[in-house]
Amino acid sequence: MIKIENLSKHYGNKQVLKDINISFEKGNVYGIVGENGSGKTTLFRCIAELENYKGEITSDVEQLKNHLGLLFTDPFFFTRITGKEYIQLLLNARKVKISNIETKNIFDLPLNQYASTYSTGMKKKLALTAILLQENNFFILDEPFNGVDIHSNIIITEIIKKLKELGKTIIISSHIFSTLAETCDEIHLLKNGEFIKKVVEQDFNKLENEMKEFSTENVIAKLELK
Amino acid sequence: MDEIGFSPFLAYALVIIGFYVISIYLFSKTEFAEYLYGLISLSFISKLSDKRRNDFLKTIFSVKGYKKLRTIENLILALPFLIFLLYNQSFLVSMILTFLSILMSLFNFNNNFNYTIPTPFSHKPFEFPTGFRKTFYIFPCAYFLTYQSIHVENFNLGAFSILLIAGVVLSYYSKPENEFFVWSFSLSPKAFLMNKIKIGFLYFTLLNLPVLISLIIFFPNETATLIVFLLLSYFYIITIILAKYSAYPNEINLPEILIIGISLMFPPILLVIIPYFYTKSIKHLNLVLEND
Repeated sequence: MIKIENLSKHYGNKQVLKDINISFEKGNVYGIVGENGSGKTTLFRCIAELENYKGEITSDVEQLKNHLGLLFTDPFFFTRITGKEYIQLLLNARKVKISNIETKNIFDLPLNQYASTYSTGMKKKLALTAILLQENNFFILDEPFNGVDIHSNIIITEIIKKLKELGKTIIISSHIFSTLAETCDEIHLLKNGEFIKKVVEQDFNKLENEMKEFSTENVIAKLELK
Repeated sequence: MDEIGFSPFLAYALVIIGFYVISIYLFSKTEFAEYLYGLISLSFISKLSDKRRNDFLKTIFSVKGYKKLRTIENLILALPFLIFLLYNQSFLVSMILTFLSILMSLFNFNNNFNYTIPTPFSHKPFEFPTGFRKTFYIFPCAYFLTYQSIHVENFNLGAFSILLIAGVVLSYYSKPENEFFVWSFSLSPKAFLMNKIKIGFLYFTLLNLPVLISLIIFFPNETATLIVFLLLSYFYIITIILAKYSAYPNEINLPEILIIGISLMFPPILLVIIPYFYTKSIKHLNLVLEND
């Protein structure tokens, strides 16, 4: 369980998160949606203790960061490190020993090539593989489906379902609504640093329609396309 | 420099003085200095041949303008080395260096080539696998120097190869890694630093093993000197690791470089510098690891 109470975050004068209160329970998948710049990534960085903040973030483990698998939208890679070495580095970091990493290569990545030469989707799949092998209890997946091929998208969706079955806590941000609808128990709408709506599974279709209307209404008309 | 209240021009002066002092030291230590000097110069010049950089330059300059620019920048970079080579009357090497500098302006190197250079360090990424792949060509040179030192019975040359390897290894710690790769560790700052130092010692020793064994066999009377060189190298590995994390997440800056520079002239000061960098490192790492 992760409990967030009265979380606020400022960058200079700009308030990015405003008095956030939310609980993420064990064995549940939470979707966080919102426009670019709504505060999703900052929220994730605060949970991971990568940012200073006002408020309180507590969990049922002693040090949350040591049990947290964090997948960034744009994972960082060293220039001359192979896919296998990248996984090895993250396993060493959490003292996890796996003798044959190749057998865990579910996305068929060229693990002996430099990871920096991978495509966007391959990089994301490598980073995801590494945090899955770390045996974490909590996962924050920031845009896990972005740039990933259809087949891998299906695999990632199934992985999320399996993690839920195993009682892990998963928080996902995505702009692809269908993938959230398929995996999440709850979806929270973040706007200008505030949670403005919580939607449970039964109302996902309604939310999707609302979001479509909100996104498209009067916006495309401004272009005056001819 | 601004941060510590000195003019940035002082940094330029220090770089020139540092270059002069290191050059004098190199030429006083080995008869092969001119060749090493040429190689060092060419390794700097080769950085300008990066394909992505040159592709960008080609989009902004005309063909003629681009060729002119590349030739001039290669020669500017070679100039300090050429001046020192001419000062030492190494006319042949300076001619070859001039020719190669111009020649290298015609070629671009893709640093992101797909061939994976094998390393014995894959089990403990990242500093040594990435560093080794960037500097792999230096190790055959160092081992050749050791061979030459035995061949011409010049122990100093062999000792220099240990220092060369140490210098290369220290360069592996010059850039800070992305915060994710520190954050990921479920270690306290103290344990994190100890782990880095342990890996540094282990792999540095592994790289130096051929040199050490050869020198101990062929110069048994110099074993004590070798141990001193080795211990000094270990101390500098500790220093550079701590200096890196004392500035983290920023790069090692001029104040840290100045402190390390002073320690090179007076190594006993390391006994003060190491605890100073250690305290600062713990403070900075606490922000990312937050275990202590």
